[in-house]
Amino acid sequence: MTPLAPWDVPQMSLARLLGAYLSDAKYESLRVLRTPAFSIPILAMPILFYTVFGALLNGRGGPALANQMFVGWTVYGVMGPGLFGFGILVAVERNMGLATFKRALPMPTGSYLAAKLMMAYVFAIVVMAMLVTAALTLGDITLDSLRLLRISAVMSLGVIPACAVGLFIGSWAPASSASAFANIVYLAMAFLSGLFFPLSGILEKIRPIWPTYHLAQLARASAGLPNDGSIGGHVAFLVVTSATLILLAARRLARAG
Amino acid sequence: MADDGERGAQQAQGALARLSGVSKRYGQVQALDGLDLEVRTGELLAVLGPNGAGKSTAIALLLGLQRPDAGEVQLFGRSPHDLAARRGVGVMMQDVMLPDGLRVRELIAMTAAYYPAPLSVAEAIAQAGIEKLSDRPYAKLSGGQKRQAQFALAICGRPRLLFLDEPTTGLDVNARETLWATLRKLVADGTAIVLTTHYIEEAQALADRVVVMARGRRVAEGTVHEMRALVVRKRIECVTTLDVASIAAWPDVASAVANEAHRISIATTDAEAVVRRLLAADPTVSDLEVRRAGLSEAFAELTHEPAE
Repeated sequence: MTPLAPWDVPQMSLARLLGAYLSDAKYESLRVLRTPAFSIPILAMPILFYTVFGALLNGRGGPALANQMFVGWTVYGVMGPGLFGFGILVAVERNMGLATFKRALPMPTGSYLAAKLMMAYVFAIVVMAMLVTAALTLGDITLDSLRLLRISAVMSLGVIPACAVGLFIGSWAPASSASAFANIVYLAMAFLSGLFFPLSGILEKIRPIWPTYHLAQLARASAGLPNDGSIGGHVAFLVVTSATLILLAARRLARAG
Repeated sequence: MADDGERGAQQAQGALARLSGVSKRYGQVQALDGLDLEVRTGELLAVLGPNGAGKSTAIALLLGLQRPDAGEVQLFGRSPHDLAARRGVGVMMQDVMLPDGLRVRELIAMTAAYYPAPLSVAEAIAQAGIEKLSDRPYAKLSGGQKRQAQFALAICGRPRLLFLDEPTTGLDVNARETLWATLRKLVADGTAIVLTTHYIEEAQALADRVVVMARGRRVAEGTVHEMRALVVRKRIECVTTLDVASIAAWPDVASAVANEAHRISIATTDAEAVVRRLLAADPTVSDLEVRRAGLSEAFAELTHEPAE
């Protein structure tokens, strides 16, 4: 056997490289699923809240309100995985040296964030499926399968702004308070953007600062429900906000490691 | 990528990794001060030094976790920031927490996926000797068991070069013996290992070559044997009626202290001359013992002398 030269390093096949991304995504999802601090707010709470407040307690609201409530809770549901997955985990992992350890390993570039993004998608799809099932069996909704599909498609785009907000929190907040920040932002985005009940005064005027407001309007428009603003405006807001937050987070992560 | 000239130079010296004139400062602290260090093919290099000597900083630079203020860092003739270079490296760091909620075998599978031709999970578990831990959640392991699991992560990628930062801290005697045996096997199979340690016995038991660091510099380098010879001081112990203070004043005597009644311990650079004078001055000298300083004494002496 020819001895290896000092500069010889093993080559990684494309298949194994893709395998590394998938394996990271798999284990990221598994650990989130096994950590009750994540799995309960991410998976259990949206379906619980929707069942109680959106479906069972909506007896007198009629189909119009039922449809609005359904859209509201889907926005709430798909924001959770990205917000918590990035917001808390990035902050905690910066603190515990895991990010450093992974940088020392030959982890493929971008796999750290790609794994979290895929995890957010996996959980958003599960949440969405649970909400649709509950809506069809318990709710008063009058949305046909095409409109449900359209709403789901809009929501799948909503995962990205959720991850961007989470990444921003995770890169700036100290590990000890990242969870509190993520929860405050989550509640503010849910209740101050008019997802569940009409707002008035200053709160109504500043609704457009919340990404959830724009996502909800897009979902309503896609399903032919009453909505405000223009589709282009909502999309532009979500794209610009997400890009800005990711950029600020990347600068912070590059500096602080 | 290194050009051919550089590669030729690397090959001549067989260096897998190299720090050349590297300096690194953290605020007021000069962590590394013009450090030269190279790791050669197939050797076990022990890096010894007191806390704050710069051992961990040197490793962080070789892994690309830090950038040097001055000097050059090479890993397999490449920048350590090159992913291809890091695919040849396994690492066990000092302060690392791994994700809760994953089992040991899952952590190994996750880490092995980053490498082109890793061990199977079962092989990594067998080599690290942690069969009993493989199905346990990492968060539930004791400190020593976590170190054993981290060792499995370090070797699972079949690295050509293994960095182990204080690997046996917190291990019980059996676990340490298992780890040592695995390290000897890996070196025999051609893996190069860089080991930082506080345990002199560890370097003495395993190392082909020792580098002693102090204040960010290399203060000595050589085989374990050479390290000990480098420090010429020897220790003489005996029972005598002579006065300790007067012995301490003899030429070539570095120090003399009384241990128990009449038993004294003399440190000297010329044992033969001192023993001759001792026997001449006190014919009743008994229980005479002369030993060469152990690596631990050599080490203490080296790191206390100011670097040139």
